[in-house]
Amino acid sequence: MRRVARLLGIVLVVGSATSARLGQTPRGERQAAPIIPVTAQELLNRVRDGKAQVTVVNLWATFCQPCVEEFPDLVRLERVYRDKGVRVFFVSTDFESELPAVRRFLQRHGVTYPTFLKAQDDDNAFITTLHPEWSGALPATFIYDARGRLRHFHEGKGDFALFERLVQDVLHNPNPQ
Amino acid sequence: MRRRVWTWVGVIVVPMVVWAQTTPKLKPGDALPASVKDVKMLNVAGNQLSITDVRGPKGTLVIFSCNSCPWVKAWETRIAEIGNWAQKQGIGVIMINSNDPAKNPEDSYEVMQQRAKERGFEFPYVVDATSDVARAFGATHTPEFFLFDAKGTLVYTGALDDNARNPEAVKERYVKNAIEALLAGQPIPVAQTRSIGCTIKFREKT
Repeated sequence: MRRVARLLGIVLVVGSATSARLGQTPRGERQAAPIIPVTAQELLNRVRDGKAQVTVVNLWATFCQPCVEEFPDLVRLERVYRDKGVRVFFVSTDFESELPAVRRFLQRHGVTYPTFLKAQDDDNAFITTLHPEWSGALPATFIYDARGRLRHFHEGKGDFALFERLVQDVLHNPNPQ
Repeated sequence: MRRRVWTWVGVIVVPMVVWAQTTPKLKPGDALPASVKDVKMLNVAGNQLSITDVRGPKGTLVIFSCNSCPWVKAWETRIAEIGNWAQKQGIGVIMINSNDPAKNPEDSYEVMQQRAKERGFEFPYVVDATSDVARAFGATHTPEFFLFDAKGTLVYTGALDDNARNPEAVKERYVKNAIEALLAGQPIPVAQTRSIGCTIKFREKT
């Protein structure tokens, strides 16, 4: 009996060490959250899935300085408003070859939830599907309500105060006239 | 009295500040902006040129670009090809860098000179020293193309083609198609497109 218990103990210890190792990259970092390739229509389908009161869609890129500067404010927005049914969809427009840089950036900013990668080469179709008034410049932020209706659009760099104001407007006015 | 002053500030200053960065983009049918068409800009060859100086007998292609943007870099060989080809067809070409190098040192004049040489630009690549030329066009990011006919009316604005990342997979060569239609006297097949790009790093309005 004692031998069985000892054996079980060894199995448990080895098993947990192994599963911890599987969740780690060689440098011991936590496994990155998935980066899901999407077209504009696939992104909108997710926005309209009814799983959030507010969805903030932010188009960004690692090489886009204003995107990088506003990024922490959006991460903070998600953290502060998560419990109120607000989610943030970060959509990287980096080329696929830059995925390692995208992952590093997301990890550095503590983004542990799934994000997205623009996977539609035709920019014109991508842009016009999301918003006919968007010029294509980055960053761009779209704010949708629970029914997936676009309520606010902001092109260019924003900050926490701006994003909070727009999100609160949607939270307080879920069904505008 | 104080309230009246602040009212006037709001009426005059705020719209000017808003205009500084958000002039509506030129659209097909608009004229070459009169306020900036004669502005002299320093070319990589050392001379000063305006858009008027480079206007061609068949039309004019104005390209807002820069040295640093990955989208520009992905398209740059094709930009050089289209610009060099367009010039030979009688379309005047000018590429304009409106970025403030203080915000991005890679957009310095010296790097512009190197880039023009490396890529074999046969057209001017000039410095928009106040970023006002970009403002007048409503240009927001790089690269952006504006094709004018011989009379100076905009006939196409937008992207070079439909695939920055993969030249082999291009289906629509928007700028080339627009130039060919212009030269043939035909309607422009697609007059306006959009593309992702890097925001222009405007200099502060003086």
